Amino acid sequence: MHIPDGILPVPVTAAGYAATAAVTWYSLRKINQQENPRREIPKASLLTAAFFVVSWIHIPVPPASVHLVLNGLLGAMLGYFAFPAILIGLFFQAVMFQHGGLTTLGVNAIIMGLPALVAYYIFRLRKSQNKESSRKTAVFGFLAGAVAIGMSVVMFVVILLTFLPADLDVGAERVAIYALAIAHLPIIAIEGVITSLLAVFLQRVRPELLERV
Amino acid sequence: MCMKWRIAACLFFVFILGLGVPIKALAHGAKIEYTVNVAIELVAAYDNGEPMAGAQFVVYAPDDPSTPWLTGFCDDEGRFSFVPDTSKPGIWDVQVRQAGHGDIVHIPIGEDAAVTGSAGGYTTLQIVLMALCVVWGTVGTALYFSRRRRA
Repeated sequence: MHIPDGILPVPVTAAGYAATAAVTWYSLRKINQQENPRREIPKASLLTAAFFVVSWIHIPVPPASVHLVLNGLLGAMLGYFAFPAILIGLFFQAVMFQHGGLTTLGVNAIIMGLPALVAYYIFRLRKSQNKESSRKTAVFGFLAGAVAIGMSVVMFVVILLTFLPADLDVGAERVAIYALAIAHLPIIAIEGVITSLLAVFLQRVRPELLERV
Repeated sequence: MCMKWRIAACLFFVFILGLGVPIKALAHGAKIEYTVNVAIELVAAYDNGEPMAGAQFVVYAPDDPSTPWLTGFCDDEGRFSFVPDTSKPGIWDVQVRQAGHGDIVHIPIGEDAAVTGSAGGYTTLQIVLMALCVVWGTVGTALYFSRRRRA
């Protein structure tokens, strides 16, 4: 899911940085408009750690090997804090795990961060219409987790297919990309379930943690 | 007279023999020329140790780093090899990629040639230690802002 250095042309990586700068600015502005912007920092900090570590844990899905991303979980739990949290997590993943790269940090932040913001809006739908219930939290938690990682996979595939270099065997690379995307189908379900379970758990144990998202 | 002719015949025979021997020796000589063609073998694997079976590799020569010099596929064990053109000394770049994942290794050819080399990768212990440092940093941040909130 992380695009490493040397895969994308330089203008694309530059555009990724520009888009990431814009979304980071917008997220920080939204955070600053909150009543107490510092209140969410401990939660954001701990979830950044979870996001950072989880990419190192490989799950074998034959014939590929994939890892959890948890961008939907971060979006649902953190709201606008999710984007800077993912950006920081991606930076450490690139430097320490060689997952992704420093030139592609912007592109990867868009691939994983924008769906996190979508997950935030999906998870907020549980508060619409009637009173918030445990079942609605579970359903919208699942949707937030699953849709976010699904969106990330689609963005990853589209960006790679759009910028395939001509000197490669394009057919073989395309097949490999599709195979990797299919290997992520179980991850979509797993991330949905994890987000749903955590949301229901927090609502029962510490409902104040979910009040502001 | 007869004796003179015999001596002359013997000298002529020795002369011919003398001429003949080196000719014969030259015919048994050999000339060997050699050119060193060092094949470079590479093994590509994902960071979990799984080989990059069927991944594509692209080799770039130092004189033209934008045009591929050689392309091909890794075998089932992620291995491939190529013989670089030693008349082009410098840094040869080899990229291996599969489904948008991969890495680039820079191989010096010429006077600075190294027997082995690698791109990327820390040991598991290094990764665990670095990850613990980052996690401790985030936990510390969380604790700090929790204290400020209570104050």
